[in-house]
Amino acid sequence: FQDQAEQFFRSGHTNNWAVLVCTSRFWFNYRHVANTLSVYRSVKRLGIPDSHIVLMLADDMACNPRNPKPATVFSHKNMELNVYGDDVEVDYRSYEVTVENFLRVLTGRIPPSTPRSKRLLSDDRSNILIYMTGHGGNGFLKFQDSEEITNVELADAFEQMWQKRRYNELLFIIDTCQGASMYERFYSPNIMALASSQVGEDSLSHQPDLGIGVHLMDRYTFYVLEFLEEIHPASQTNMNDLFQVCPKSLCVSTPGHRTDLFQRDPQNVLITDFFGSVRKVEITAAALSLDRDVVGLESKFPEEELATEPLKYAEQLPVAQIIHQKPKQKDWHPPGGFILGLWALIIMVFFKTYGIKHMKHVF
Amino acid sequence: MAAPLVLVVLAAVTVRAALYRSSLAVFIAERVEVASPLNAWKRVVEGLALLDLGVSPYSGAIFHETPLIIYLFHFLIEYAELVFMITDVLTAVALYLAIQDFNKVVFKKQKLLIELDKYAPDVAELIQTPMEMHYIPLKVALFYLLNPYTVMSCVAKSTCAINNSVIAFFILATIKGSAFLSAVFLALATYQSLYPLTLFAPALLYLLQRQFIPIKLKSKSFWLYTMQYASLYLCSLVVIICLSFFLLNSWDFIPSVYGFILSVPDLTPNIGLFWYFFAEMFEHFSLFFVCVFQINVFFYTIPLAIKLKEHPVFFMFVQLAIISIFKSYPTVGDVALYMAFLPVWSHLYRYYLFYENLLQSCILQMLHSHLRLCNLNSAPAFVLRNIFILSCVLIFCSFLFPVLWHLWIYAGSANSNFYYAITLTFNIGQILLISDYFYAFLRREYYLTHGLHLTRQDGTEAMLVLK
Repeated sequence: FQDQAEQFFRSGHTNNWAVLVCTSRFWFNYRHVANTLSVYRSVKRLGIPDSHIVLMLADDMACNPRNPKPATVFSHKNMELNVYGDDVEVDYRSYEVTVENFLRVLTGRIPPSTPRSKRLLSDDRSNILIYMTGHGGNGFLKFQDSEEITNVELADAFEQMWQKRRYNELLFIIDTCQGASMYERFYSPNIMALASSQVGEDSLSHQPDLGIGVHLMDRYTFYVLEFLEEIHPASQTNMNDLFQVCPKSLCVSTPGHRTDLFQRDPQNVLITDFFGSVRKVEITAAALSLDRDVVGLESKFPEEELATEPLKYAEQLPVAQIIHQKPKQKDWHPPGGFILGLWALIIMVFFKTYGIKHMKHVF
Repeated sequence: MAAPLVLVVLAAVTVRAALYRSSLAVFIAERVEVASPLNAWKRVVEGLALLDLGVSPYSGAIFHETPLIIYLFHFLIEYAELVFMITDVLTAVALYLAIQDFNKVVFKKQKLLIELDKYAPDVAELIQTPMEMHYIPLKVALFYLLNPYTVMSCVAKSTCAINNSVIAFFILATIKGSAFLSAVFLALATYQSLYPLTLFAPALLYLLQRQFIPIKLKSKSFWLYTMQYASLYLCSLVVIICLSFFLLNSWDFIPSVYGFILSVPDLTPNIGLFWYFFAEMFEHFSLFFVCVFQINVFFYTIPLAIKLKEHPVFFMFVQLAIISIFKSYPTVGDVALYMAFLPVWSHLYRYYLFYENLLQSCILQMLHSHLRLCNLNSAPAFVLRNIFILSCVLIFCSFLFPVLWHLWIYAGSANSNFYYAITLTFNIGQILLISDYFYAFLRREYYLTHGLHLTRQDGTEAMLVLK
């Protein structure tokens, strides 16, 4: 009973969100869209509804004029698995996938006119999965071939999310070249990060399909997808198994992970904590009293960090304080010596021209 | 004569005040023809704001005004519009008084030469009478105040108005004969923008003439007076520059103001000739061509001094025109200043005879520069022959400037060549205007001493051509 009750509260989250981002456009980056869609598929299959998924695809591969099989995006060659289907809800499409929009989604600083489906309405009991794929380098990820997001910006965005209590735990997965550089700078608690390659390594693509003509998936995500296909909502598989996915022999690059900011042991973290939206339902006929010592709630946030009253957005920016802190502007005045010298000269010229004897006519 | 002048002043002030209140003020203030990097009002405000923030206004290449302007506007920045209107009025009044005096001098000299029988007997129609000279000062003030170029310059609050007023005071002081004041104002004008340095020669010539000192290289009194004037000028210049040092306690203003004027780093398009050349020039040659272009401004002083030593005020006019055509950042305010003088020589276009082959005469005028008799079958005409064409060219170009600017910058269907073509045409128009006046003036002088009907040795009719 009590063990089950403990398990009930073990993970501390009550809802799941996913932010899945594909940052590259153009037909030859088909594999990035396929990556993102396969993670989307898995996440949806495991229970996270569309209203809790923010899917950002930088280009439309299914309806691309170069797609020989329109309305499909395949992840396996020979058209084994179509990850597109009839029920894909893309929230940010095409040119809306920008660094600014991505950061606004994460931090919640969204204009009031944004529809609900484009918002990340997470709270402090949300576990968020953030998956990003595209072209990247050491410390940056390229968006749409025209701008980039740096690892520092990403870390700061996560810190904003932490300070605004927008997540309980965060799983960050990135599948780009030199992906490990993107999680190097994180400094907020409760973040676990996985990357497809270390700094200095390239992530490689998996297999081309000769019928479609491009590479369909990246290796890391391909093997993650295979791994996730075995997961069902009741699986007890933990994160350590995910870390083993795609060893160097299969992936050619060395996947990396970072768990130092995470408070729980990865052994105890279920895959479904992030990839699924598992509602823990225990049917019992007996009554259970929830005392503090029974449940053993670990405080995720140390007491001093918890705000005693609910934090409002406006209070986080003490504008009044900022205004009063501005230094008073001192006006510049010309030095006295200059004024004296100038007027002495002018008076001298005046006297020289008109002579002193005229002064009595002036006064 | 005071009442019409007051009327003109009132009309000018009304026009400017009306334009200040209208929406055109912002539009005009942004035009590159009116506001150059040297005298734009935006930059003055920026420099003063930098000063309030505790930073030297000369750090960064925004502010290129002299410290005295900083001092002037530090206290008067809220009344800027009033200041510029008053400056324009002062310039006009100074020009009025100067030309009034100058007319008296001219008339006296004319009378003297007639009595000394220096003039040929048949030139009665060329002599200026006091009747027609009576309204010239008013016309000068009118030309300056109601010139659209001046009005635009004032509405844009370009400090060119202040430069013009200093030069006007310098001209007033010179014509009144006060060497000290003239040197002080010339030093101030040179301090403001470097080019009035070339006005030293005409001022010196005029003062020498006034003191009846003959201009001979061997004459001791000539050198003595020259030295006196030059030392007055240099001393006042040094004093003003040292005084400016004490405003900000740094010599920053010298590279920012004079270095900027001489080395032309900012290539924003304007109505001058520098920007296009230097925009397309390789860096290797830019120093050489900067020197060439700058020498071009100062170069005409000596030949003109030799030719026009009897007519220093005309020399001053031509020199002013040359400065405003060839300076590194000209604006229409500079053009307005020398245009104000055109009524003084309005007697040069009294006769409207037929037009000859304009192109041929233009080329001839531009190529050579001394008089020669030649056998052309035409009646004598010292008329300003190209005035109609040139005024059309100038007016046309003034209207085409904003059109081609719009096409180049906003519509994107033209490029800088279009705008530069108009700049070139405008400057060619100005040059032709000046050379026309120059030619007509010299011709009139020649006719005065040699008579209207020129004959060659064999008795056939002859024609003066500037070769």
